[in-house]
Amino acid sequence: MDRNPELEGIGVYEFGWSDPDSAGASARRGINEDVVRDISGKKDEPEWMLERRLRGFDYFGKKPMPTWGSDLSGIDFDNIKYFVRSTERQAQSWEDLPEDIRNTYERLGIPEAERARLVAGVAAQYESEVVYHQIREDLEEQGVIFLDTDTALKEHPEIFQEYFGTVIPAGDNKFAALNTAVWSGGSFVYVPKGVKVEIPLQAYFRINTENMGQFERTLIIADEDSYVHYIEGCTAPIYQSDSLHSAVVEIIVKKGARVRYTTIQNWSTNVYNLVTKRAICHEGATMEWIDGNIGSKVTMKYPAVILAGEHARGETLSVAFAGEGQHQDAGAKMIHLAPHTSSSIISKSIARAGGRASYRGEIRVAAGAHHSANTVRCDALLVDNISRSDTYPSVDVREDDVSMGHEATVSRVSEEQLFYLQSRGLPEDEAMAMIVRGFIEPIAKELPMEYALELNKLIELQMEGAVG
Amino acid sequence: MAGTLNEHSHGLAPVQMRSERKRSADLAEFDAITMRDEQWRYVEVSRLKGLDNLPMDEFSGDIELEAPEAVSASWIDRDHALFGSAGLPEDRAAAAAWGAASQAYLISIPDNFVGDQPVYLTLRGDHLEASALHLVISAGKFAEATVVIDHVGKAVLGENVEIILADEAKVKVVSVQDWSRDSVHVSAQYSKLGRNASLEHVVVTLGGDLVRITPTVDFAAPGASVDLQGAYFATAGQHLEHRPFVDHSQPNCKSNVTYKGALQGNKAHTIWVGDVLIRKAAEGTDTYELNRNLILTDGARADSVPNLEIETGEIEGAGHASASGRFDDEQLFYLQARGIPELEARRLVVRGFLNEVIQRIGVEDLEARLTASIEEELARSIA
Repeated sequence: MDRNPELEGIGVYEFGWSDPDSAGASARRGINEDVVRDISGKKDEPEWMLERRLRGFDYFGKKPMPTWGSDLSGIDFDNIKYFVRSTERQAQSWEDLPEDIRNTYERLGIPEAERARLVAGVAAQYESEVVYHQIREDLEEQGVIFLDTDTALKEHPEIFQEYFGTVIPAGDNKFAALNTAVWSGGSFVYVPKGVKVEIPLQAYFRINTENMGQFERTLIIADEDSYVHYIEGCTAPIYQSDSLHSAVVEIIVKKGARVRYTTIQNWSTNVYNLVTKRAICHEGATMEWIDGNIGSKVTMKYPAVILAGEHARGETLSVAFAGEGQHQDAGAKMIHLAPHTSSSIISKSIARAGGRASYRGEIRVAAGAHHSANTVRCDALLVDNISRSDTYPSVDVREDDVSMGHEATVSRVSEEQLFYLQSRGLPEDEAMAMIVRGFIEPIAKELPMEYALELNKLIELQMEGAVG
Repeated sequence: MAGTLNEHSHGLAPVQMRSERKRSADLAEFDAITMRDEQWRYVEVSRLKGLDNLPMDEFSGDIELEAPEAVSASWIDRDHALFGSAGLPEDRAAAAAWGAASQAYLISIPDNFVGDQPVYLTLRGDHLEASALHLVISAGKFAEATVVIDHVGKAVLGENVEIILADEAKVKVVSVQDWSRDSVHVSAQYSKLGRNASLEHVVVTLGGDLVRITPTVDFAAPGASVDLQGAYFATAGQHLEHRPFVDHSQPNCKSNVTYKGALQGNKAHTIWVGDVLIRKAAEGTDTYELNRNLILTDGARADSVPNLEIETGEIEGAGHASASGRFDDEQLFYLQARGIPELEARRLVVRGFLNEVIQRIGVEDLEARLTASIEEELARSIA
């Protein structure tokens, strides 16, 4: 496929260009045991990882497709490339990167971000494998490990094996099983005891081969009393046929530690984004998911927190924006296993132009998790009358001494609100964008500034042509 | 919430909207019940005691009707125009009961009827073999009435209840499940509302080993309103499940759903799944659903799922809430501060909690009986 200059100017999808598809041409389509063995062999992995992959592949075959959620019948597993190698070795510095890849990231603003020392390290995922990776020296001195997952398996095999697959087992669900079988790339973070990483660790991911599945695997371990904020941002170019993104993110938050994980997902609107994200919180630990879903054709993603230790806390802030042809099926899960655990979920969704935004959540309080508390707040905003908003919460309480609450509202932008703003001289589309920004403000304010700006920009782009 | 897969143009896809769920009177259309199916995910099939299969006997217990003279009752055949006019089964147990009932018991309330006495139907079961019953309640134009269905005694009963309200009818239907502890009851209660009709549907479930009530509401014309109220009290080992569904397919209709439950004892399990669908045509809809659960002891489990599917932004309002928890400490403190001992205070809180629904029945003797029954259970736990 040649560079399409006409795609560069597309207004509705800013990052919708694509680079020459050279790496993907040789990749096989479809999956079988040989493909799984081949991936493991190419990566020169230890035997246990191959076994794990094969177990994942076995589960993938046995597990049924979900009987709930979005329509996934458009996924053709036989027409997906499960592994694509972009360059043979990892680049050591920016200049080592191939020019087309550099161009891609220039447009995403990575070098600027790094020059500004805003990010602690950049793991740029390009065609399944990390090609660029740099960690600031002071982090290394603190003992923080921030690597792509493949390298981490090579360089830190013990710690890797100790935690890999402990939060999300190979047979957790069909897509986690698939990820276990064919995973490639992703980030590995280890923060030692007591270390507080002051600046966010940031990674950009990018699908860049037609029909290529991206199966990154992220593993974050925050040792006792540590803190880290990890940021994942996704943008993908527009392609002619559907792509699959099926990541697995496992996070271990040890006693007294705190992890914040921020995602602004903006896959192009042909991507099936089916992601399993789960954290386990030990005593007094805090896990915060900040989850923005703007892009993709279909997203099914419910970041979970297992509150396994006393006084553990889980929080999810979720914002979903469903435009034309999109189904955002997002939400959160909180599993209270220990006493005095608390959790909160705030979900905001906006549907427009025929899009569908669903909140789907689950709260479980196990027997013995007394004095646990949870609140769920879902607000949906409909800006027209052809879009759809759903709420599917589920609450399962098995303990008397708890407090659970769920509330949801669905509202539409009222004529009065618009009239009020217009009477102050704002054009209708700006007024609409302002109302939407106000609606998601509780989540935007939790984002680092550059992300909040990006989110606002994305919302504006989405709202273009929303009125009139 | 989707639970099954539908044939799709290119493969199998989950049901994407509550209204797409299969509706059929034919048992063969439904797969065997498993916990993999969202609709049955909480039910151990063995506890249904045969209610999921044919053949099944017809209900042979007492059917006793006390009603004002103008209200008529009769058995109608399956080819009667009213049979199946309010809805069709959405699950296998309802389809089995539908197939097993050769006739339906029709209670007919004439046009313009206004009654000050309730239409009181007592269904008294006397054995624990699976049996089926089909009821049809039909209210004419401008009719105003209260209909009570009081389920007592012991039974393994598969039931379909059809409630048809003509234009402008204003009807309250009360379904009381006050069974023996070993009874099993699945009841699909379909209602269809005419223009500007108003239905108050009150469900009170106390007895039984497994009780599963699935009220569905269809609007045949604009301007109608429905108020679904429920109260349930599950004690050790009981499985009480309620799944109301309001399908807003017409403009300017209102719905309110309020279910409140209390649980005490090991393996007391309540399930509440409330579905509200607002279709594209249902502009001007106003809806709210609420489920509250009070868990009184350890070992009990309350599942609460208020689902909301909305296809149009042109609505008056839509919301839902679910809360599960323990006693309100503040209320308790307030009562104790006034010299009321803690146990008594707890009793008062629970009574007040459930009475909000029970007093909606409006039939004094029945309200008193149900309140006494709840108090008795509470006293047992407190002692």
